[in-house]
Amino acid sequence: MSSETDTGRSISGRVSGAAGRFGGAAVDGLSTVTEPVDRALRPIANVYNRTLGGYFGEMNGLQLVLLVGSFLGLVTIPFWGNYTLVQATWLACIWGIFAMSWDIQSGYTGYISFGHSVLSGGAAYTTAMLLNNVNAELPMRITIPISVLVALIIGLAIALPSLRLSGPYFSLITFVAVLIFYRLIRPLSEYTGGETGLGGIETVFSTDPVMRTYAFMIPMLLIAAALLIVARSNIGLILVAIRENESAVEAAGINATKFKIWSFVLSSIPMGIGGVLLAHRFGTVTPGAFVVVDNSIEMIAMAVVGGMGSILGPLGGAFLVIMLEDVVLSGFESEIKWSILWLIVLLILVFARDGLFRKLWHGLDRLGGDRR
Amino acid sequence: MSVLEVDGLTKKFGGLVAVDDFSFEVDEGEIVGLIGPNGSGKSTVFNCIMGSYGVTDGSIRFNGSDITDDSTHEVVNKGLSRVSQESNPIDSMSVAGNIKLFTLPNSIVSLRGGASEEEIYDYAARIDIAEHLHEMPDELPHADVRRLEIAKSLATEPEMMLLDEPFAGMNQAEITELADQIERFREQGMSMVVVDHNMGGLMDLVDRIVVLNNGDFLAEGTPEEIAENEQVQEAYLAGEGL
Repeated sequence: MSSETDTGRSISGRVSGAAGRFGGAAVDGLSTVTEPVDRALRPIANVYNRTLGGYFGEMNGLQLVLLVGSFLGLVTIPFWGNYTLVQATWLACIWGIFAMSWDIQSGYTGYISFGHSVLSGGAAYTTAMLLNNVNAELPMRITIPISVLVALIIGLAIALPSLRLSGPYFSLITFVAVLIFYRLIRPLSEYTGGETGLGGIETVFSTDPVMRTYAFMIPMLLIAAALLIVARSNIGLILVAIRENESAVEAAGINATKFKIWSFVLSSIPMGIGGVLLAHRFGTVTPGAFVVVDNSIEMIAMAVVGGMGSILGPLGGAFLVIMLEDVVLSGFESEIKWSILWLIVLLILVFARDGLFRKLWHGLDRLGGDRR
Repeated sequence: MSVLEVDGLTKKFGGLVAVDDFSFEVDEGEIVGLIGPNGSGKSTVFNCIMGSYGVTDGSIRFNGSDITDDSTHEVVNKGLSRVSQESNPIDSMSVAGNIKLFTLPNSIVSLRGGASEEEIYDYAARIDIAEHLHEMPDELPHADVRRLEIAKSLATEPEMMLLDEPFAGMNQAEITELADQIERFREQGMSMVVVDHNMGGLMDLVDRIVVLNNGDFLAEGTPEEIAENEQVQEAYLAGEGL
């Protein structure tokens, strides 16, 4: 193996070392089975590592199986899943976009935003208000770019004044931004529809569940790929360095404030896309479903459950939470369901602080044979 | 020709005057020692030069351009780098990763770039930590963590380095070794300011010493002149020896 790969691993590979130490005897026993599997798949994994590994991060054979398996399972869901599962997938794709978008900003830089639903809500309301207040016939190729642009503008309006602040002030400002947005919806009900919201938004492919699934999944996959490329690049490295030690970033001749604002841009654009998709998912935009601060907290919960600072972890977290909510726990009434969900989040926070998918990923790293 | 010119530098924190109308210059290729008892304002001077603190009054020029109001990253990109007193590597990145961070371009669209493997090796080799490149910072002994700070500073390709107590916590053998390495940087054309609160490590290293006391300029001269200067001895009498 080339020395280049070694350094690539050692630059970002600290956590895996720590996870490796966790392992224990059970893992050692398992690895007698998994190592040959890993070895068999290694040539395929290495082809990937040589070609795309530099852009998305490298992996071993087992990790490749997990990723390719999840990917194939996901894209074929409309053909093997029941309608409940397929419907949950639509929502999971959208929340996956939210969780990943939150992650590239908050998870990577450590400047935790409690107000990301203001971005998605802003985009969704822009779509709804354009259709209801301007012209109901406006095509999506007009409403979608404008809505995403509004999310970006709101993002910059929050980021520019607040990211120079440190400590809890940034988080508080994002939090207050949602509260203001939420409270303004009712007084402006002439335009916003107040508590009942605004309808009249086209629900794409509403009669074709297969196409409808891809209408939500393809944007999600593209956003995941784009954010992964950014996260595994120099930009991701600098954002993590800001989280770990902002003064070191400045001492390296890098403008930390510029990169923090950039992370907000990278986050606001997909948040806007997710908000628009959510509007087209339900056809109606309401303050309760789109803006309320609980939404912002749920994004954080998904990211933390999956493993913040990893992009794919929060995506997995979003799928896990939505599947629990809409499929596994769908029999319970809402209050009970959410109490159980938040209890699960609490347990993960206490016992698996690095996130479930990060643990799984590093577990597979350990279960595979030695890389060399 | 002076590379660094600090002119009438004053820094107040509320009513407290930490540095009062302090001036000094550093010539090209020179090593200047900046000493003074604890709390005399040495680190504050560095913080002002590097843009970590805003300056109350006075001006700072580097290579002829005014850097008084520049922020830290601008100062660094003009060729001035500081090795701070605290070692603060990023613990989740290897030694190589920590050095690489200091070579990355200040560009939000640059996905690749920064130093190559060989360049990172060279920076590490210049301060003799190349064998630790793949280790984690918290696995290194204290003296090597301090060297990592210097390697990071070198990675910004500075024309001048500000070293803040580089010998702190080192034993005599390590001090001698580091002083030799610093001497080598000078031979390669680097100008330097070395802060220390006593003269132990500086005597054979520096060309000139500037003494700061209570934020004020106290004396300037060769190490021998400073060692015999009565005012300096008096200033140090209150605290520890020279």
